[in-house]
Amino acid sequence: MLRKRIIFTLIYDNGSFNQSRNFRLQKVGNIRWLERNYKFKDIAFALDELVVLNASKKNKSIEDFAETLTKLVDDVFIPIAAGGGIRTLEDAELLFASGADKIVLNTVLFKDKSLVMELVSLYGAQSIVASIDYKRVANSLKVFIEDGTFELDMNLKEYISYIENLNIGEIYLNSIEKDGTGFGYDLETIKKISKDITTPLIIAGGAGNEEHLLSGLNLEGVNAVATANLFNFVGDGLPKAREHIINANINIAKWS
Amino acid sequence: MKIVIVDYGMGNIKSITSALKYLGVKDIILSSNSDDIASADKLLLPGVGSFAKAMQNIEKLELDKILYNEVVVNKKPILGICLGMQLMGKSSTEDGFTNGLCFIDAEVNKLSVEKLKVPHVGFNQVIVSETSKLYTDLDNLSDFYFTHSYKMSSNKSINQAKCEYGEKFIVSYEFDNIAGVQFHPELSQTHGLKLLENFIKSF
Repeated sequence: MLRKRIIFTLIYDNGSFNQSRNFRLQKVGNIRWLERNYKFKDIAFALDELVVLNASKKNKSIEDFAETLTKLVDDVFIPIAAGGGIRTLEDAELLFASGADKIVLNTVLFKDKSLVMELVSLYGAQSIVASIDYKRVANSLKVFIEDGTFELDMNLKEYISYIENLNIGEIYLNSIEKDGTGFGYDLETIKKISKDITTPLIIAGGAGNEEHLLSGLNLEGVNAVATANLFNFVGDGLPKAREHIINANINIAKWS
Repeated sequence: MKIVIVDYGMGNIKSITSALKYLGVKDIILSSNSDDIASADKLLLPGVGSFAKAMQNIEKLELDKILYNEVVVNKKPILGICLGMQLMGKSSTEDGFTNGLCFIDAEVNKLSVEKLKVPHVGFNQVIVSETSKLYTDLDNLSDFYFTHSYKMSSNKSINQAKCEYGEKFIVSYEFDNIAGVQFHPELSQTHGLKLLENFIKSF
């Protein structure tokens, strides 16, 4: 049976890893901090996938990001998705060459449809993850690009159907309002839309503990839950969360 | 042990290279050169992306002839991964109709999963073939990581393992010196590393 997935997301900003809260970044530590506190070689069993996002708002350098990515993924034998600031074919190539198994696109999904189509045809739909950031604005769910700074004139439902027509492999749906709060996922919104989404769906934004992960995994139409909470899952937080989820009889991969 | 990863310009080879290094393989090269391929103890055919584009690249580099000679004539062990597994079949209906390398009597078609989502992405359990060498010391229904929209099927007995997603389809074959896996062993933690080790040891 196809398993559901638990994903850990790392938010990178000019050499450091960050706790994001409503898209405002707080530096937590550099790659040495991360290696000390999250030994991915050891805790990979607690995870099904790693997502690494370059959220640098100033001087976004894809080269520096790629260099860090390479160090991070050494000897970690789970799928790695990476993105943030991909604007050209060369950017995508660089991330694939630096250890990404999939790439995450956001702004270009809206701004450069032809690049997206080219990437899908070159690397296959299954290599492309569409990241969607949304927020409630005057009682309507609006989509934001450019690291959450630019509001599109499209509501979430319209945007998702636009994205699904691009034939990408997965959707990574992130609530800007829930991001980093630790209050739990935006279950209300996800419940409303997940059943109609025909693309594999990863939800993100808000998970602060294992119960939150569980509540997301229990939703119909949700294929994976992601958390980027560096504080709440430090040390053996992720292995413990996975154990809890396995004990709750959720259908996730088991390792022998 | 010298392993050549066949380079036809498609696919991410960093993960597979680091998995082979982790398993202690000293000599790993990425190449499309016929002398390199001839000098290898074993071959790996990786790949992601479109079948049609892959065959175009393969033919342009004359890898179809080089591989036929090494794999079919000289019986050099080869493991195809994901698209690489499919390419060794007869044909694919992805982007029209394209002939494959024809080493294995099997065809590639779109997954027919009715209400399920495509691509089939994530860990899924493999129904292991009992006479398999690839799954030595791995339990039946072990989890492996998949991400694909097309699947392989065959009427022949090619020592296939299967998996279920809407329908049952072939997720690995072992035929003489030729093996292929639809999933990504390099992204499947201990199970994947064990499978790669089994290929290195037993083929």
